[in-house]
Amino acid sequence: MQARASEMELIREAQAGSRAAFDALVRQYEQQVLRLALHLTGSEHDAEDIYQEAFLKAFRYIGNFRFECSFYTWIYRIVTNLCLDQLRRRKTRREDQAVVLDHSGDEIDLLASVSDNRSFSNPARELDRKVLGERIQAALDKLTPRERMVFELKHYQGLRLRTIGEMLNTTEETAKNTLFRATKKLRTQLAGLR
Amino acid sequence: MNCELAHERIVLAAYGELPDEQIHELDRHLSSCAECREEREQLQAMRTLAAVCPVLEPPANLVARSRLRLEEALDALPPKRWYERLSEKLGNNFAGLQAAPVGAALLLVIGMGAGMLGGYEYSQGRVAHAAVAAQAAAPMQNPLVIAPSNVSSISSIVQQPNSGVVEVRFNQVVPQQIQGSLDDPAIRQLLMMASADAASEGVRDDSVGLLAAECRAGHSCQAAGIRDALMVALRYDRNEGVREKALKGLEPYVAQDMRVRDAVLEALLNDNDPRIRTEAINVLGPVEADTTVRQVLYSVANSDQSPQIRNVSRQVLSRVPQIQ
Repeated sequence: MQARASEMELIREAQAGSRAAFDALVRQYEQQVLRLALHLTGSEHDAEDIYQEAFLKAFRYIGNFRFECSFYTWIYRIVTNLCLDQLRRRKTRREDQAVVLDHSGDEIDLLASVSDNRSFSNPARELDRKVLGERIQAALDKLTPRERMVFELKHYQGLRLRTIGEMLNTTEETAKNTLFRATKKLRTQLAGLR
Repeated sequence: MNCELAHERIVLAAYGELPDEQIHELDRHLSSCAECREEREQLQAMRTLAAVCPVLEPPANLVARSRLRLEEALDALPPKRWYERLSEKLGNNFAGLQAAPVGAALLLVIGMGAGMLGGYEYSQGRVAHAAVAAQAAAPMQNPLVIAPSNVSSISSIVQQPNSGVVEVRFNQVVPQQIQGSLDDPAIRQLLMMASADAASEGVRDDSVGLLAAECRAGHSCQAAGIRDALMVALRYDRNEGVREKALKGLEPYVAQDMRVRDAVLEALLNDNDPRIRTEAINVLGPVEADTTVRQVLYSVANSDQSPQIRNVSRQVLSRVPQIQ
């Protein structure tokens, strides 16, 4: 409660024009913003751009923040929108990667490299971790930007579906359905056709 | 419980989102349904695989680099004008008036007035004050007529004791002239100064036109700060012709430079010339799918004074597919 009260004071001071107060707010959230942007984009350069745009936008529009939601949700709403824009731009630029290549440039058949009894519990025993990571990434790239965003926020960032709905300016129910679609697609990509 | 519902609840349970009473119900279903048990194993396998790409803490140098870049950008921003702060404050203090039509209408009028003022403030020339002080001295004893435009500042005024003599110290502008190509840094610097500071609309129009042409031709538009000068002209110049030229000069950069995009969005929201607002919509074409752009288009579609602009905004919004 005390931490929240002091954050409210910082926000009010920043709204009144205090640069020091805004800098303090940046310090509170910058790690989380970069962590999300870095994991989602896989690029330090893109993560840095998202950080820059998000906090500049926050600085410009902090006067419009009316304490109707938490500042955390407000900042994340800005960040997720920017990440969505980034994902959409990537999707239109990137060719459809239906296959994953190994170090020598040969295609990898995901099914062939997985044991017949589908023992996923110890993937490190069967596959090189880096190659496996690339396959996961390829599967994630096949999600729509919104599915990717919801899966990222739920699976990797551990947020509640209700919070995810608020951040994406939608309902918890919609976020839930998007998660279902995302997990179904990923299962299909990673385990082969049923 | 049917299997389709069970599959959804398996996902929710895996992510800790299933209420306790539904967990028990799901367990009962799973105890008698092999297919759903397989589904749960598949989901767990997927989650295990996904964990191969862990979330990592950002490296310290990335944090430091990002912070430094942000600080530089914030330092470069102009301070908010008084009417911008007032407008924000009114919006915050009267947020509850949404349910009160009279109060809300009053707020809208005040906000619109502040917004129109805020878009087009023009920075004052530095020589404006000189004429009054110089003429207050003893014009009869100094036949030399000083043109106010040649005076850059008055540094002191001293009246000598027991006399009517006043001493005025002033700094005088010495007119100069240079010529060179548009690649010449000195020429570019003067053009950028003229775009923001020239008292004559014609001079500002010429300078912005030349700078905009440089940007459209792709001639080192950013390194020399030309893009910034065009954004200032778009935001603050009182002459719509100057603003239109600035907008055209910025068009090639709207997709790659977020500041340009935001400047164009501001023009779309706040410019009082419908031609500028219409042109802004055209310029935003390459980024019309961006979330921020869509939000502004939505606002314009509902609230712009011009029916034609409202219509065009709606057309653009309907053209861009909904994001899934």
